[in-house]
Amino acid sequence: MLGGAFSAPTLMAMDNWESSTKSISGAAFSLTETQQKIVAAITELIIPKTDTVGAKDVGVPAFIEMMLKDCYKAPEHQSFMEGLASMEKVKFLDLNTDERRGVLKLLEQETKKITSKTPPFWRLIKELTLLGYFTSEAGLKASFEYVQIPGKLELIKLKPNQKAYAY
Amino acid sequence: MNLNIKANKNNTFDAIVVGSGMSGGFAAKELTERGLKVLMIERGHEIKHIEGYDTAMKQPWEIEHRGRTSNISAEERWANSRFWGLGSEEVVNHLTNDKENPYIEKRAFDWIRAYHTGGKSMHWGRQSYRWAKHDFEANAKEGIGIDWPIRYEDLEPWYTHVEKFVGVSGQKEGLEILPDGHFLPAMPLFAPEAHFKNKMLERFNRPVTVGRVANLTQPQDIHTSLGRASCQYRNKCQRGCPYGGYYSSLSGSIPAAMRTNRLSILHDSIVAEIIYDEQKKRAAGVKIINQNTMQTEEFFAKIIFLNAGSINTAALMLNSKSNRFQNGFGNDSDQVGRNLMDHQLGSGAQASVEGFEDDYVYGQRPNAMYIPRFRNWGNDKQTAYLRGFGYQGGASREGWESGVTNDGFGADFKQSLTKPGPWSIRIGGFGEILPNPNNRIYLDPEKKDKWGIPMIVTDAAFVENDWAMRKDIIASAVEMLETAGFKNVTPYDRPTHMGLGIHDMGTARMGRDPKTSVLNAFNQVHDCKNVFVTDGAAMTSASCVNPSITYMALTARAADYAVKALKKREL
Repeated sequence: MLGGAFSAPTLMAMDNWESSTKSISGAAFSLTETQQKIVAAITELIIPKTDTVGAKDVGVPAFIEMMLKDCYKAPEHQSFMEGLASMEKVKFLDLNTDERRGVLKLLEQETKKITSKTPPFWRLIKELTLLGYFTSEAGLKASFEYVQIPGKLELIKLKPNQKAYAY
Repeated sequence: MNLNIKANKNNTFDAIVVGSGMSGGFAAKELTERGLKVLMIERGHEIKHIEGYDTAMKQPWEIEHRGRTSNISAEERWANSRFWGLGSEEVVNHLTNDKENPYIEKRAFDWIRAYHTGGKSMHWGRQSYRWAKHDFEANAKEGIGIDWPIRYEDLEPWYTHVEKFVGVSGQKEGLEILPDGHFLPAMPLFAPEAHFKNKMLERFNRPVTVGRVANLTQPQDIHTSLGRASCQYRNKCQRGCPYGGYYSSLSGSIPAAMRTNRLSILHDSIVAEIIYDEQKKRAAGVKIINQNTMQTEEFFAKIIFLNAGSINTAALMLNSKSNRFQNGFGNDSDQVGRNLMDHQLGSGAQASVEGFEDDYVYGQRPNAMYIPRFRNWGNDKQTAYLRGFGYQGGASREGWESGVTNDGFGADFKQSLTKPGPWSIRIGGFGEILPNPNNRIYLDPEKKDKWGIPMIVTDAAFVENDWAMRKDIIASAVEMLETAGFKNVTPYDRPTHMGLGIHDMGTARMGRDPKTSVLNAFNQVHDCKNVFVTDGAAMTSASCVNPSITYMALTARAADYAVKALKKREL
């Protein structure tokens, strides 16, 4: 498993993983119904249903809640809750789609200014949305060319519009 | 100790091998193939090749936390997960529960363990490099530690023997620093890596090669006769390979030993002590404790191979006290448990790669690019530190993960992440650590584990030489990536402890003088010749290359010697 067998992106992801989970011990974590609705709305804006399935179709909102509970601890929980509180403050669920997008764009820019070690709300929800979607069966198969058993290793030339392989 | 050497016939074997990992498996194979009846004792649970690999064929969505470590798992596997994140459901059942098997860290040490059939050979990085001649001579030349009692030439035929059996894919390069071996066809370097290789040769005269890796690129009869097949390029080796595509004790040495019908394996049995016969002045056998039932039992043999892993082998020796060995078995020199070495890693550099947009790869290469040591080698002389390091790493195209840190969301963003992203490259150092008697493990005088065995204390850390080397690992990585023309070159230096390399070694070193070493040139305990130690504990220095193939070569050589000596009635 070691000895350089990890790809560069995997190692980079592990860096991220470490900084996002190394923290003090956990606390109970659960979302209210309103909070769940906000999470679902944001995930669907990040990965909307198009000609392929979207975040809600593959169960990303429930996945995020499970992951936060099982794999993250108090500082991340607090960061996530603070983000949800600010979404409630701007009455996110009452906004139309364009307004919601505007809020997320602002959030994306604001997030860049945050220097704390704990990942901010936008970073957490975006990362978990992508993880949940691109590793779900329907999301993965819709997005990539899934090859469970390659059977060979070949250097190839990329064809126009070729999807990435997933393994 | 109250000895009961009225050996029960059922409990008597020609040889006992303690441990079923990389070196224990090889010991069992070599001894049984030479006609000995062998008992292999494994402290952990049984894992059966293929059927025991419960996650091997799971699809990404079938892994509950999708490769992340849950809080529960992080707590249970605290040493495994605090750096490497080895707590995912993919592998978690095949790594030791640290909470149930605690050790005491006087100084922090990442002790990664795999208590089950095959031990860490199930999860190893599979990188397989011969030592250079120089590696065996450096201690003597530089006055570091003690001299090795053997030279490259002693081990050379055994490297070949091991490589043939294991199956090592690699490229011959004709380098003195990285001797060629018996190789299966090499895996390819990816386009940006090939570019990097050319640049490094041109600008620094530094060779770069593809990793030498124990995956079958072209299986031979010696492999297929054991049911092993070609690597399928899934790169999920750490889950266990149902094809036997990579070498482990489970896929290779244990099946080879089993087919002789001379191997018995005892699982769940912790060897607590070596039984010493004061009259005959030799080891009579071992005492085990069943890890589940707590029952003890004794087993006897003419010879004993200790292959429990460097730290556990040393701990077993220290815990085996007798009138003759009041300071621990074979420990007249007081070197048992000392000179704990590893390889330092966790530092290097990464960069983004422009171009090569049309280059892509089908399949997942379970391997890396390798940059052999170039420091303190040839004309290079470093004043800040001794020895050197190699780099492992490679290039890959970014996947959807890049979307986490890149701006964007929505339909176009979603679509963009389905395409292969730009290439990036990363290299990380594997640095040699010097033998140091103050880097050690010992037994806690009071605290005991749940089986009543004294707890192990780790007391080791990097010293000045390591930190100076680390600085250069980072600086040289940056220089090389920049020279190759890569962009956004970024150094990295993650806080690490010793142990993280999972190459713990040196705790019962070989040497010529019984006053300063534990083992002789054939891995025999100086003062008890029917006990052989052929795991990492035997190492007198660490080199900077991955050690498993050297452990196996030492094991095969010692086994050959042991059987010949038995036949000559010298043991």
